[in-house]
Amino acid sequence: MTLKRYALITALVSGTMLAGTMSYAAGKVSDTAPGETTVTKGIDVQTIGVDKNAAIDADVGIRLPVGFKASVFADGVGTPRHITVSKDGWVYAPMFRSKDGMGGVAMKDDDGDGKADQIHYFAQGRVATAIHIVDNWLYYGEDLQIVRWNLNDGPIPKGEPEVIVSGFPEQQAHANKPMAFDGKGNMYINVGVPSNNCMVETRKKGSPGQQPCPELERHGGIWRFDADKAGQDQMKDGYRYSTGHRNVNALDWNPYADALYIAQHGRDQLNSFYPELFDAKVSAELPAEEFHRIEEGDNLGWPYSYYDQFKGERMVSPEYGGDGQKVATEGKKPLIGFPGHWAPNDLIFVKGSGLPVEYKTGAFIGFHGSWNRAPEPQQGYRIVYVPLDEAGNVSGDWVTFADGFAGEGPIRSPRNAKHRPMGLAEGADGALYITSLMSGGRVWRVTYEGK
Amino acid sequence: MKESNGKQKIMTCLGIGMGAFAIALTTLTSYVRAEGQTKVDPGKALYEENCGVCHQLDGSGVPFMQPELYTSPRANGDKGGVIQMILEGSKAVEPGTSEFENEMPGFEYLTDEQIALIATYVRTNFENTGGEVTSEDVARERKRN
Repeated sequence: MTLKRYALITALVSGTMLAGTMSYAAGKVSDTAPGETTVTKGIDVQTIGVDKNAAIDADVGIRLPVGFKASVFADGVGTPRHITVSKDGWVYAPMFRSKDGMGGVAMKDDDGDGKADQIHYFAQGRVATAIHIVDNWLYYGEDLQIVRWNLNDGPIPKGEPEVIVSGFPEQQAHANKPMAFDGKGNMYINVGVPSNNCMVETRKKGSPGQQPCPELERHGGIWRFDADKAGQDQMKDGYRYSTGHRNVNALDWNPYADALYIAQHGRDQLNSFYPELFDAKVSAELPAEEFHRIEEGDNLGWPYSYYDQFKGERMVSPEYGGDGQKVATEGKKPLIGFPGHWAPNDLIFVKGSGLPVEYKTGAFIGFHGSWNRAPEPQQGYRIVYVPLDEAGNVSGDWVTFADGFAGEGPIRSPRNAKHRPMGLAEGADGALYITSLMSGGRVWRVTYEGK
Repeated sequence: MKESNGKQKIMTCLGIGMGAFAIALTTLTSYVRAEGQTKVDPGKALYEENCGVCHQLDGSGVPFMQPELYTSPRANGDKGGVIQMILEGSKAVEPGTSEFENEMPGFEYLTDEQIALIATYVRTNFENTGGEVTSEDVARERKRN
């Protein structure tokens, strides 16, 4: 039964890809009437998402719902990660690899044509992932510290920044320090785990899980800090807000429900470590990428459990005696379990009024796309929208808001993906910005033009 | 740790023997494949089981996460580089010099034969021309650690 479901999903996905390819060749065929809307409780209209039969816009390389338009804001800028936009329209992104020694890029569209006219590099020697603006302070999340520059000193940061938090542990994997702010003076920083599933020996077949997992002392959680106080230390000054996370790259404060929302990467390699319990097809779909509302004190169960989106249950991890059937008692269930390995790398709530009302109070999640679904095709290279009501409850099915990033599928290897979405931001004018660090790096600007 | 001449000779003979065996095995495998039988290259099978999930079945790696093995300097360099990488994982790379995020585990628990087959597969595929690695090469590298 379960296998049939996997087969059905694979068939549906393949069918969608095939249909997309066919319609591309045959010209635009729509199965969703433009303007078609349905009234649902709590929200005025149903969110539809991309028309799966529509062609991908060749000029910009992505596909959006009816009424939206994208422009390539900047191309070949480097390896942008997260992104943020100032009230004056300066667009900032830290990079995975430095360019001429600089870790960040600042971009500005001067003439309003949707393309950056100025591109400047800043943050000497500081490669980073996270970035955010609060009260005209540019917060910049490096792997080992969070620093900030005051944008009142000029739009292109110069000189030594102020160190807000340091003392994070050194680690190779999942070292990013993505951040969120609650608007009440607090900053939330994710500290990812340095391993896959806290095995005694790193990613080694047959190695059991450590009990208890010592990584949870300094990793695997979200720590809260004073956003405005310099010189804080993770353990001395930070408060562990939640635990049992694996790696959260996507987090934002939901200003409507006044709560922290996250999407996290699930564990890897169920099949390669436990082939007798999980075949390659099952391992491509499991475990879910989890979307949560996080309350203070929450425990999501890593590494002792993972979430099976088909069973709707949290399961005992095989490193801790699980067999793919044993339901776990530890760990909060997510609001939504997305398909395995899609890699949620950013999440935002929009605050302005640039988008239609059905996109107002929900979450946009950027999925970077998978690398470990082989021998199945790789998947996930897209932005999705999760409808939430004002209280923060899921109020409808999630939809794909933007796709086409990877190019013509199926994608067998992530190297063949032309672009992989990474960061998301909303400009003061209501436009959305999306980054990709592939193919030289690209930034898109998305606006709603009406139907 | 200098070995006697006699022992060296024995080791050399053993090496040639192993080399001949490896060539015979490769020839046999090619022959079997040419005949359209279901038997697969044991190096390929071991690569797919142990390495493919991260480095990808086609050796293309994952940008920024795990290196591609195509025209890899290590795979085309001296045998020790590849063997040490398989034995030690990321520990074989000088700290702070990796451009890739993920950590590679060591596969020292595999047998010398298995590691030799994987190393040979990587060094003779993905447009690499590094050449074969024998079990004896692996045993020698193990002693260095």
